[in-house]
Amino acid sequence: MDRNVIICRCQEVTYGEILDAIADGATTVDGVKKRTRAGMGLCQGKTCQRRVQQIIASQTGQKPEDVLPATYRVPVRPIRMGVIGGNKDE
Amino acid sequence: MNKKDADVIVIGGGIIGTAITYQLSKRGKKVLLIEKNDLCSGTTGACDAYITPHTKAAGFSLDLCIKSQEVWKDLEEELDADLEYEHNCGGLQVCQNQTEFDLVSDNSEKLKAGGLEVHMLDIEEARKIEPALSEKLRGALYCPSAGQVNPFKTTFAYMKAAKRNGAEFKNHTAVTGIIRDGEKVVGVNTDKGDYYADAVVNAAGAWGGEIAKLAGYDFEILPRRGQLIVSEPVKPIIHTTMQTGNYMVIKHHPELITDERVKRLGIGYCIEQTDDGSIIIGFTREFVGFDKSTTLESIEGIIETAIQHIPELADIHFIRTFSGFRPYSPDNKPYLGPVDGAPGFYMAAGHEGDGIALSAITGVVLAEMIVDGNTSFDMDSFSPNRIFNK
Repeated sequence: MDRNVIICRCQEVTYGEILDAIADGATTVDGVKKRTRAGMGLCQGKTCQRRVQQIIASQTGQKPEDVLPATYRVPVRPIRMGVIGGNKDE
Repeated sequence: MNKKDADVIVIGGGIIGTAITYQLSKRGKKVLLIEKNDLCSGTTGACDAYITPHTKAAGFSLDLCIKSQEVWKDLEEELDADLEYEHNCGGLQVCQNQTEFDLVSDNSEKLKAGGLEVHMLDIEEARKIEPALSEKLRGALYCPSAGQVNPFKTTFAYMKAAKRNGAEFKNHTAVTGIIRDGEKVVGVNTDKGDYYADAVVNAAGAWGGEIAKLAGYDFEILPRRGQLIVSEPVKPIIHTTMQTGNYMVIKHHPELITDERVKRLGIGYCIEQTDDGSIIIGFTREFVGFDKSTTLESIEGIIETAIQHIPELADIHFIRTFSGFRPYSPDNKPYLGPVDGAPGFYMAAGHEGDGIALSAITGVVLAEMIVDGNTSFDMDSFSPNRIFNK
């Protein structure tokens, strides 16, 4: 695959940058995320996490399902802050 | 005589451990850093990004932070890396009412006497710096020299620079014991084998207490959970780093907090906007052991306070919550230096919420202590040996 192919669309992280992160010591989805921002954007890795898992697996010889995924956190979808902590003065 | 794997072993691959590793390697030492997971996966992996001298106690802590800023200033050039460092974006401590304003004002006098430039601003003046602030607030303390930085980029940059100087990194290797030869600390046991060196540095952050226990010391370093939220990327609306004035109340006068939820969870807010446009909002201060979950009650509390201060946040979406551990120490100061009765064993942990700001100077002073045997200025106040004098 071309190194310039974008894997994480939200943060525009390329295949090449992910390969570099793995060469740099990343062995988990979180490790790639901390080094490249892949998965840190608006969709929080919903699009790219599987792909990143596969790339790590192919580079490190692990099975894709053995590559540690990133931690899932609330909220599942973006929520307007006013919905959760609406201003009580108004 | 045992084999020797390095001159110095550093335990912990966060911003503190990598800073020390870099500074030692720069001074010609062969360093082996041992990290139980990956770099940036523990304390540094989930924190905020402030370099704020005005939140430090006037005296030794403030002096150390100002010295740290001196090191930060040239760090991007020295490490040859972009650290997203904004060295004077300024910091505001925003006060909702007169009680907070009075406490923060009192503190501002101490900070001024300690040599820091700070100004107390009425809300009209504060809104000239941060127009997003609500006009219903009382005012703010303004510190022009406060900054922010990207802690992940800094940690990886330290690692790369240290590797260029010959340092070695062993990730996914957990320290299980401290090896001693008589009194002297000469190495560590790990789940991957034993490693030997002339000195061992404990830079394990929130886990620093556990590592110290392996050497037989109880430093009472506890993990203090802080929850944060992250917004969608938006246009720049926050220009400085901000905390609620009640941060000072919570940190230094917890007895004055009357709201039960604020008291129990230590809720306030600190807010910053990163280079990519995301707004990061904290904080809570909770003792829950190593439980890394986020809770709806705290998230609600943080957002509620933040919207009271910055009303336009109500229309911005948040996309993630996360929590991390601050390495709490009982007297709000890190333990930095050699430990009596264990020659070769050094502490560099217990920074609580000041770890990012103080990482730069921590790297320098630990390297000075280990290489030269003394530091370029008085570090007695941070000596780990203060635990023996209680």
